[in-house]
Amino acid sequence: MTTSQAAASADSEQAALLKQSVTDFIQRGTDVARARKLRDTVPGFDRKVWAQMAEFGWTGILVPEDSGGLGLGLREMGIVLEGLARVLTPEPLNAAAVLAGTAIRESGNRKLKDELLPALVEGKLLPALAWQEQAGDLDGGSPALSARPFEGALKLSGEKRFVQGGLGADGYAVTARLDGGVALIWVPASAGGVSAEPLPQADGRSAATVRLKDVVVPKANVLAEGPAVTAALQRAFDDTRVMVGAELLGTMTRALDMSVEYMKTRVQFGKPIGSFQALAHRAVNLHLQKELSSAALDAIVAELDRGASPERRTVLASRLKARCSEAGTRVTREAIQIHGAIGFTDEYDVGLYTKRAMVLAAWLGNAHAHRRRYAALAPAEE
Amino acid sequence: MAESRDYNALNDDAFRQEVRVFFEKEYPAEFRYLLRKGRMSEMRGWWDAQYRRGWAGPNWPREHGGMGLDAGKMVIWLEEIERWGVARPPDQGVVQVGPIIMQYGTEAQKKYFLEPTLKGEFVWCQGYSEPNAGSDLASLRTEAVIDGDHFVITGQKIWTTMAHDASHIYTLVRTDKQAKKKQEGISFLLIDLNTPGILVRPIRNIAGHEEFCEVFFDKARVPRDRLVGKLNDGWTVAKALLGFERLSIGSPRRPQYALRRLEMIARAKGLFDDAGFVDRFIALKLDIEDLSSLYERYVAIAKRGEALGPDVSMLKIWAMDTWQSLTELLVETGAEEGVVPGEHDINGVNTDFLTPFYYARPGTIYGGSNEIQRNIMAKYVLGLPGH
Repeated sequence: MTTSQAAASADSEQAALLKQSVTDFIQRGTDVARARKLRDTVPGFDRKVWAQMAEFGWTGILVPEDSGGLGLGLREMGIVLEGLARVLTPEPLNAAAVLAGTAIRESGNRKLKDELLPALVEGKLLPALAWQEQAGDLDGGSPALSARPFEGALKLSGEKRFVQGGLGADGYAVTARLDGGVALIWVPASAGGVSAEPLPQADGRSAATVRLKDVVVPKANVLAEGPAVTAALQRAFDDTRVMVGAELLGTMTRALDMSVEYMKTRVQFGKPIGSFQALAHRAVNLHLQKELSSAALDAIVAELDRGASPERRTVLASRLKARCSEAGTRVTREAIQIHGAIGFTDEYDVGLYTKRAMVLAAWLGNAHAHRRRYAALAPAEE
Repeated sequence: MAESRDYNALNDDAFRQEVRVFFEKEYPAEFRYLLRKGRMSEMRGWWDAQYRRGWAGPNWPREHGGMGLDAGKMVIWLEEIERWGVARPPDQGVVQVGPIIMQYGTEAQKKYFLEPTLKGEFVWCQGYSEPNAGSDLASLRTEAVIDGDHFVITGQKIWTTMAHDASHIYTLVRTDKQAKKKQEGISFLLIDLNTPGILVRPIRNIAGHEEFCEVFFDKARVPRDRLVGKLNDGWTVAKALLGFERLSIGSPRRPQYALRRLEMIARAKGLFDDAGFVDRFIALKLDIEDLSSLYERYVAIAKRGEALGPDVSMLKIWAMDTWQSLTELLVETGAEEGVVPGEHDINGVNTDFLTPFYYARPGTIYGGSNEIQRNIMAKYVLGLPGH
């Protein structure tokens, strides 16, 4: 066996174990009924379940081994996120372990990282990235939230919106304007002057509006400054976009499975409705969109995990986010149509998937925004 | 003909380099990125060059004068064809009927048909569709009645691509009208188009070209030894290559050519400043990118030597739909010039708007229409009940 073959089989073994762990987890009680129960509550997820996820090692998939993580790639993370999305698991694994986790991991403050990352891996720390101030922003390059030197420390004031995983977070990696540049600063949720207000979304989960009012933190809480912030954010955003793609894939897969199953059993005019071509062809078109999403995800994750330049990561992330956002919203919307009136009821699950897909599609840039970004970045054909 | 070498023993890069050098040297520049099929009359020189090199049959085994490429090398071959924009000559003989004869033919058939097919002396067309058997192919009625050592054939084929350029036709004919299932009374015959009683009549298509034909059989006598496989087992023979056909028809190659053309024109016309155009262009570009990823999945399956499942139909659906959308946008991009046939000089870029549009149009019809592919997917992939 060659080295690469050995690596490939070890890789698939790891992937198989993760798949199994997701299956076990789902069977242990995280199902759609639990997601329903937690709808419209604060923080909207269960900290005990979060601790279980950490036990499975999922919070540490992307954390290097020397920080206590598994040091694996987006492929492994994607397997877990796709699986959890199929049952609408409400815990903010992507927001905390990918978005916030990657921003922290890619920052330069070794001492602080050594404190935060192992705690994230162990499930003791739930971090959130608080970066966005305006809807539709794709890069967070110029925050208005300010950090000013104050008695040898820093004093922060301002507001962050659409903070995913922001309710129930133990702390925030906050982007701020500092000395005319940008800084990424760690702010514990318990610090005086920090508040997080629920921002309810269509899917029954709440993002947070995080307000900092004269919050004082030590200078040692600066995770990164200047261009290092931009680079860390870009990496975190693009990797998260790809993982949102995995979540959208899981979401549309389950909605389509439900629809196809329904088409086999629902009888009208004396026949299962799946025997009618108008519906059958619709289902095939949706299946095709799902498979395009899945093939793109696999190919892109493989390229990212092999190591790609930041520019290339951005192009690939936009490509995937555009496809999965478009396909995810379309498949889940048409799933309602296939079900007919029952699909429009709150009692039936399919609508939960539609609303989840809409929220995921909007997060970190929708299909249109990413096509525009792709157009601006992608190299021309030879 | 050059002596057959073991190309599979070469490493991939060395093989790719050799193919590349050959294409760059021998392939006629005026036919690069041709937006239609090549005709034998214009591509004879290219065919001969391939044959002299021993490269006329990349998919054929070496014992039959082919290159004997394994699936991995075959993919490289196809990639280089795509990269250099090498057009498809009338290659039905090499791609379709040759492998069928190798798999199901008698020794005598192999001896008689294979070498001239490789040389391009026998040019083949496919006689499947009939006036009342299109999507419902198994309803075909062209009849072959046994009379001594001959089949006597009466009936009509239609939409026979390039029959007027061909010397031979491979056909599905009805040999048992009493068969319980209509698929069961069909046989696979190889027929010389010079046989008395056969008339080929070209049909003008909406592009104004004569690419497809009607083929009439009026008591044409065909020797019985032209039967391939068993009598009444022609459906099995014809189905054998279907999976590969859908892989090749679902390749991103054709839409990629069209995209490249569209991009050149759009640049020449300054359309990348038009946000509306850019969004549509990028959506189509991503459709092709993601098709490529999907295609690679199936290529990997083929490379491993595994059979392709019915889900490969997806590739054809998406490749053809995307290809058509691109050529529609191309015509739109041309505005008034887009509907004027012939070449146009668009700020220094020469282009023909209508030919790609016409060329893409039947893509969703031939090789099993996209609706038929969706039926296949619904039944065999999604497991939906039949209608």
